[in-house]
Amino acid sequence: MTVPLSTTDSMPTVGTIRASGPSFRDGRGLDRVLVWLTLGFLVAFSALPLVYNVVMSFQSVDLFTIASFDRPFVGLDNYKAVLSQRATGTIVRNTAVFVGLSVALQLTIGFGLALYFQQRFPGSTWLRGLFLAGWIMPGLVVGGVWSWILAGDFGVMNWALQATGITSDKIFWLSDPSIALYSVIIANVWVGVPFNMILLSVGLAAIPDDVYEAAEMDGAGRIWRFLTITLPLMRAQLGAVISLGIIFTLQQFDLFAALTQGGPSNGSNVMQYWSWELSFQHYRIGQGAAVSVLMILVVICVAAIYVRSTRHEHAA
Amino acid sequence: MNMQIEIDGVDKHYGAYHALKHIDLRIPQGQFVALVGPSGCGKSTLLRTIAGLETITSGAIRIAGKDVSSAPPRARDLAMVFQSYALYPHKTVAGNMMYSMRIRGISRAKARARAEEIAKITGLEALMDRYPRELSGGQRQRVAMGRAIMREPQAFLFDEPLSNLDAALRVHMRAEIRKLHDRIGATSVYVTHDQIEAMTMADHVVVLRAGVIEQQGAPLDLYDRPVNRFVAGFIGSPAMNFVPGRIDSDGAHVILDLPDNPRLAIAGRRPAQEAVTVGLRPEHLIPGDGPNALTLPVRSVERTGSASYVRTDTQPHLMIAAADRLAGVDAGTLSVTIDPTLVHLFSPEDETALAL
Repeated sequence: MTVPLSTTDSMPTVGTIRASGPSFRDGRGLDRVLVWLTLGFLVAFSALPLVYNVVMSFQSVDLFTIASFDRPFVGLDNYKAVLSQRATGTIVRNTAVFVGLSVALQLTIGFGLALYFQQRFPGSTWLRGLFLAGWIMPGLVVGGVWSWILAGDFGVMNWALQATGITSDKIFWLSDPSIALYSVIIANVWVGVPFNMILLSVGLAAIPDDVYEAAEMDGAGRIWRFLTITLPLMRAQLGAVISLGIIFTLQQFDLFAALTQGGPSNGSNVMQYWSWELSFQHYRIGQGAAVSVLMILVVICVAAIYVRSTRHEHAA
Repeated sequence: MNMQIEIDGVDKHYGAYHALKHIDLRIPQGQFVALVGPSGCGKSTLLRTIAGLETITSGAIRIAGKDVSSAPPRARDLAMVFQSYALYPHKTVAGNMMYSMRIRGISRAKARARAEEIAKITGLEALMDRYPRELSGGQRQRVAMGRAIMREPQAFLFDEPLSNLDAALRVHMRAEIRKLHDRIGATSVYVTHDQIEAMTMADHVVVLRAGVIEQQGAPLDLYDRPVNRFVAGFIGSPAMNFVPGRIDSDGAHVILDLPDNPRLAIAGRRPAQEAVTVGLRPEHLIPGDGPNALTLPVRSVERTGSASYVRTDTQPHLMIAAADRLAGVDAGTLSVTIDPTLVHLFSPEDETALAL
């Protein structure tokens, strides 16, 4: 491949009045270097693994064939195997519940907090900054802390609920199959709220005060102003936060690893964790790849919606 | 006359800052009132307290006889045109105009019909389905006006609506707004820092400084009889010249503190030897010889074709605005005369106008 990286032939002609030095820095040469570096990085570390993953999902891959590219092509067998398992229904449903509830709660709480901190009371910016703590913590650490909080016998959560008289019996947050998934959702909502809040705060701050004042003069009360001014003007941010929230939630792996390992008996298993289990615990790598390809299709749809919503923003 | 807006002893504090100091103002039904003053004088704050967008610390505001001192904006039934226009960016021109009616539960068809009617008056018919971002500054300004006149409010409030337009458009819109006011006949309160806008548009001008009403009255009254040096200097363009001086021993002349100590007749009598500040409007200094003449050294002349502006080489500088071209006058001296009744005197201590 011949890439015109040479800087001499793209040197700007205006350089004659200048000393020779800045032509690389200011000219098109550096632009090209930066573009090709980025492209190269994306191809090597994102595109190739993605394509390789798709290829593997159509092959029979096990521990003996993992080192070679020449593996038997099995068509849609991996997909059929994955979709016909008894646990599949539960896991797909769990994934939908996990994503749906997580995103809905993150969005509602994050938007509520963003609106609250928009009120500019003393210390509001400091407090808002504190909320970021949850977001910058490594997922495994968050999972470790929550597994202590939610521990059945000695967890703070059960102690608090019993001390305040809300429940009399201990709740087995992590080992009750009907509750385990919701425990992970609670921890995931805690992780995702700051991101939602910050992004939505930025959007709220961009709405000029005088537009609200004009609406006030036009006779709109608080609720009408929220419905007819805030919500429509936040459309792009809401679209971005929802699509990114879905993508981030589909990526959420650490919390499952730290809290429930998908158990008990797949009670809290979701597709991203299942894909990992198939590939790296059962070494059915082709099937694990098939699950992740199915997830990629979902993410592509969501990403398309996200791109559309930000394009609308640029037009505005 | 029927008072539409009454402001009784209104004070506004922002923490320790006293933004409005005991404002009393009565605006009759149908009048066009301009609030004018330098930036930070409190004119916008006063307008916003009338609108209900700012609370008042003490005092009372009544609109059409109803006390609205602590009522929210929507209970006051006023319409406002903002400096930045504050159009709803996600709504079309028609949507912007219909908003206030839709909020009040009026049907879409009715609101649209009214919007079409207003669009005819404001020349927006062709733009009804455009978004604000697709409009020029002047068009946005019209939409803001159109949105305000959709309802028939108790009064219109204007917050420097023309300051974002270029000079030519500003002069044009000045006349349009006044025409619209006359056509609708509603009460208007108009905030501006531009005394020309205030003088040309308003029936009644209120001059504010540092949260205090310095003077209010008909535009030409403010020009002819300013009550203090601030109003005298603020109203009129180019601004009035101020020269220190002293009343002569006869009490009927003032001796200016300029080279050769020129002597000017005044229209009345003041105590002899009284120290005064003499106010002379540039356009009242008429080139030529005659009674009450001053001979002044010339520093520079600017000619616009219709007028010539002479700066004198004196301390302080005087500005002379002459209606002729003053051919040949570029240095040397220029003689000007002034009608004694046009000489203003102010107290050097408290800057109030001295009676003649």
